[in-house]
Formats: sequence, C-alpha cells, structure tokens
Amino acid sequence: MSVPNHAPMPGRPVPPMFSPGRIWTLAAATFTQLVRMRTFYFLLFFAVLVFGMSNVNLLYTAEQQLSTIRGTSFGAMWLFAWLFAVTATAVVIPRDIEDRTLYTILSKPVPRVEYLLGKFFGVLLVITVALGAMLLLSGLVLEFRKAGLIAETRSYLEQSPDLTPADIQGQLDAISSEGFHPRLFTAAWIILLQAAVMAAATILVSTFASSSLFTIIVGIAFFLIGHGHRIAVDYWSEGGATNNWLAWAAKVVPDFHIFNVHEKIVAGSTASPLVMAEITAYAGVYCVVYLLLGWYMFSDKEF
Amino acid sequence: MSGSSSTPPSSPPAIEARELTKVFPLQWSKGYMVAVDKVSFTVNAGEVYGLIGPNGSGKSTTMKLVLGLMAPSLGTTKVFGLSTSDVRARSEIGFLPENPYFYKHLTGAETLRFYGKLCGLRGRSLQERIGELLELVDLEHARDRRLAGYSKGMLQRIGLAQALVQRPRLVVLDEPTAGVDPIGSREIRDLILRLKQEGISVFLCSHLLEQVQEVCDRVGIIFQGKLRREGPLDELTAIENQTEILLQEASPALISKIQALIQAEGADLLSLGRPRTTLERLFLDEVERGLADARSAGVHSAEPSPPPRP
Ligand SMILES: Nc1ncnc2c1ncn2[C@@H]1O[C@H](COP(=O)(O)OP(=O)(O)OP(=O)(O)O)[C@@H](O)[C@H]1O
Ligand SMILES: [Mg+2]
Repeated sequence: MSVPNHAPMPGRPVPPMFSPGRIWTLAAATFTQLVRMRTFYFLLFFAVLVFGMSNVNLLYTAEQQLSTIRGTSFGAMWLFAWLFAVTATAVVIPRDIEDRTLYTILSKPVPRVEYLLGKFFGVLLVITVALGAMLLLSGLVLEFRKAGLIAETRSYLEQSPDLTPADIQGQLDAISSEGFHPRLFTAAWIILLQAAVMAAATILVSTFASSSLFTIIVGIAFFLIGHGHRIAVDYWSEGGATNNWLAWAAKVVPDFHIFNVHEKIVAGSTASPLVMAEITAYAGVYCVVYLLLGWYMFSDKEF
Repeated sequence: MSGSSSTPPSSPPAIEARELTKVFPLQWSKGYMVAVDKVSFTVNAGEVYGLIGPNGSGKSTTMKLVLGLMAPSLGTTKVFGLSTSDVRARSEIGFLPENPYFYKHLTGAETLRFYGKLCGLRGRSLQERIGELLELVDLEHARDRRLAGYSKGMLQRIGLAQALVQRPRLVVLDEPTAGVDPIGSREIRDLILRLKQEGISVFLCSHLLEQVQEVCDRVGIIFQGKLRREGPLDELTAIENQTEILLQEASPALISKIQALIQAEGADLLSLGRPRTTLERLFLDEVERGLADARSAGVHSAEPSPPPRP
C-alpha cells in the first residue's frame, strides 16, 4: 500500500457544537426530498383556480372582481401553507426513522437539535418558495385583469357625456387601487408565520407520536383548537371558570385569531409596522417554545 | 498479525465498553428483556474486532450503544477516550447500519455529498473525496443514478462509502456483507483489510464466520446478550494439543511410513484425507473461470482469431 488515502486527516478540526452549515445541509436535503415527492404539483391547481377566478365576472363590479381574485388566491395560499406545514412535517421525520436514514445522520457529528431545525427549516423553505410562486402568479393575474378592466371601464365611461375627465379618473383610480399592492407581501408573511407555528407544533408532536397519521390528526386538531381558542376562553371566563389549568391550556396553544389579520390586509386595510412586529414576535415565541420542547423530547429518544 | 503493536501505547482504545447493559421494557406486559447484559470489551486502535452471535443475541444493540444512538441502561462506552454523546467522538466514527437505506431520491454522488457536508466537508476536497469513494466501492458507473434503483449490494457499498466519507478513525459495520454476493463480499473483506493497513480500527459483526476469521484480530462471541468468549482470534481458535501436517504430492508409501512413525511414537492420528476447499472458494473459482471464459470468448468474437501457425 503506497499512499494511505483513507487514513484520518492529521489535525482534524474540532467540529463546532452548533453549525448553521449543517442545519442548512439538512434543510436543503429536506427541501429536495419534498420537491422530489412532487409536492409542487399543487401549484398547477392553484394556477387553474386563480385563472378560473379571473374569468368569472357575472354580477360583479370591476372592484369586486379584483377583490374576489385576491381573496380566493390568498385563501388558497393560507389553506395550502398551514395544511402543508402539518402534513409534510408529519411525514418527514417518521420516514427517516423507517428508512433508518436517521441512524446514519445521527451517527455523523450532528447534534439532534440541528436535525430537528433542519427539518423545520426545510419544510418552511418549501412553503416560502411555494408562497412566493403563488404570490407572483396571483400578482400577475391581478395586474393583467386590472389592465383589462380599466380599458373596458374607460371606453364605457367615455361614452357618457355627463362625466368630467376627473370623474372618470376617480373611478379608474378606484379600480386601480384594487390591483396588486405591496401590502399583500405582509399578508403572505403572516400566512408564512402561521405555517411556521404549525410546523413547529407538528415537529413537537412527531417526536412522541407513533405514526404520521396520528401526527397529522393531532396537528389538525391543534389548528382547530387554536381557532376555537378565543371562543373557548370567552365562554369559560363568562362562566367564571377561569381556573389555573385553563389559563395554562390557553397559553399552550396560540390564539390563531391573531393571524387572521391577513384577511383584512387582503381586503384592503394595512397593518402598522408595530402590529406586524407583534405578530412576528408572537409566532417566533411559539416556534421557539415548541422546538425547545421537541428537542427535549427528541434528545433521549431511541431508535 | 495484530495491528495494535504499530500504534503508540499512549493512544486511547478505539472503543472501550464497560459493563454495557440495555434493558427493553416489553410493550404489552410488565416484563422486560435484557438485550445486552454487562458486556465489556476493548477495541484497540488499529484493530479489527468481530462480534459474532446468533440472530437476536444483541449485536446491533451493542453497536447502537457504542454509537450513542441508544443510551445504555447501565455501563459506559468511550470512543477514543471521549463519550459518544460528544460531537467530536462522532466525527471519528463511520457507521454502516444493518440493511442500510438512504434517501431514495438522491443519487449516489448526492448521497455522499450530503453526508460529507454533515461532517463539515466542503468544496473541492469534498468533490474529490466523493470521486475517490465511488471508485473505492466500485460505483462510479452508478454515480448519477438515484438510490431507488440501486440493488441491495449497491446500497451496502454506498453505505460503506458514506461511513468512510470524513476519514474516520473507527468504522462500525453492522453485517457489512449481508445480501452481498460472494465476489462483492470478498471485495468488502479486502476493503476492511485495507482500512486496517491504514491504521483504521474496525468494529464489525457478521454471520459469515469464515470472513470474520479472515479479517479480525479479536473476536467476541455474544449469546443472549452476554459476551461468552472474547480474545485474540489466534488464541481462540488454536487447539493447543493438536498439530496439522499438510503434504503435497505424497506417495502412499510415504503416508504409510508416517502412519507407522506416529504409532511408534504413541500419538493418535485423528484424521487423514484430502483437504477440502471451502464452498465459498469453489464458488469463487467457478465464477472467476466463467469470467475468464467469457472474456476470451468476447475477444474471439470481436476480432478474427489468428490463423493457425504452420
Ligand atoms: N427497540 C427495541 N425494543 C425492544 N426490543 C428490542 C429493540 N431492539 C432490539 N430489541 C431486542 O433485543 C434483542 C437483540 O436485538 P439485536 O437487534 O441487537 O440482535 P442482533 O444480534 O443484531 O440480531 P441479528 O443477527 O438478527 O441482526 C432482540 O431480542 C430484539 O428483539
Ligand atoms: Mg443485527
């Protein structure tokens, strides 16, 4: 044997205890895994939906048509984001355990928390890319439809002699304001935040669940509880039953009503930077708490 | 034979397991089962250690305990003097699990890149390492094929390459030759011997006892979770009060002379006959002969055979 080319490297650098590079490697692998599972096909359904909506013009005024396109596409984005966060996260970890890929990953210098974070960010990466694509698509459809509607309305209004050019412009401006607007980015951000909370919660569930199906069911139940949160809290406090246990239960599950702001933003209102920061912090705190609990559960799990 | 003589005495053992015990609770009853029972052994640096035992005797569990994939119920294990929960220890270990499966959607090269990056390799050095390893395990032809289309033996080989990616000082192999044909399994044996020459410690378990005998310096025999025998292979297998003589081209006359001599000296002749080749050897010889035949036939069909010499 001439040159020992498999001999250990002399002076091997000590691997860092925490490495964003490794998390990124794991996230990118999760991303590829999900993409190669053909998850992006649903984008076709989304495209069909949005293009379909843009051709529905019965009974609606021009403004209503545009706001319907906005509402439908953002509704679809919201549904996709949280549902995908639950299902994809629920599938990704058990699959590694079944395939025993987890053995080889964890026998490399990879701390378990990095593995969980890699899965979390991988799922979020897919959602971010998908939301970006949907945002782009709905923006294009909106602008395209807006241009058509403005042209139609202008030629229609210019036939009536009573309207001054200023009146016409006012109406056209009203239509114009219903098109794509930068505030829609903030709506997409809130949708992403809600998906992140769902993904983190699902990671926590899948560290102790025995099957993907169970994880998905618990994840969806969690979502529904989050939405019933305010109703439940109101109901219980009216009945005077606010004991400690309930107060705690109410804190474990976030109040998903907070994220409903995205609907108002899509409808036309804007959220102040302060409100945005608050929502982001709220989502961030829940993500961190769920991931920490997940880490705790996962750290001495045996496979 | 033992490679431990070449390593300085100061270097800590590759694996030091002390009283390792693993108890599994039984799912549907209050009972429990002891999968690994107070197992102690040492794998010195540069040594090849074979753990053998029947199915369900606790070999894989012992390996998982050594790797820190499972926490022992009792006892300790150290790798190069470090606890296995230490990230530094794990960067010195390469692991091939039994029946390995990797991400089916990745190609061979992508798989190695993934594991290489997890070990902190990047860029050119990683790229070169991937090429080296694919060559080593003879998978260059399948470099860009997805693992979903790999055969069992190919998966085993990419698993080996993956274990070696960061040039670990210790390789843990759980049945490295399971499901591999005799040629492939001999290649894996050669690879293990090569790793040993390069000073890498190997901890393996296998059901192919002949192979274990060929590659291991030390063996442990585990049964029902207990380590029954343990020690250097030569010592374990030598039968102290017997001697073997192997002759070639011996005439019947010579043999009867020897027999007479043995009787005269008062020793017992235990066996006399032709040594048998192993089935494995026979199989390999046949396959090799077949390959040679095919090669010469291929040459003949490709180009006209030379005219017979006058
Ligand atoms: N996670 C687990 N939970 C409960 N029992 C387990 C678990 N893993 C292993 N066992 C039990 O521990 C014992 C040892 O299993 P192990 O896999 O270590 O055997 P092995 O020697 O590797 O066998 P084989 O040669 O078949 O691979 C078996 O009886 C097995 O049923
Ligand atoms: Mg086993």
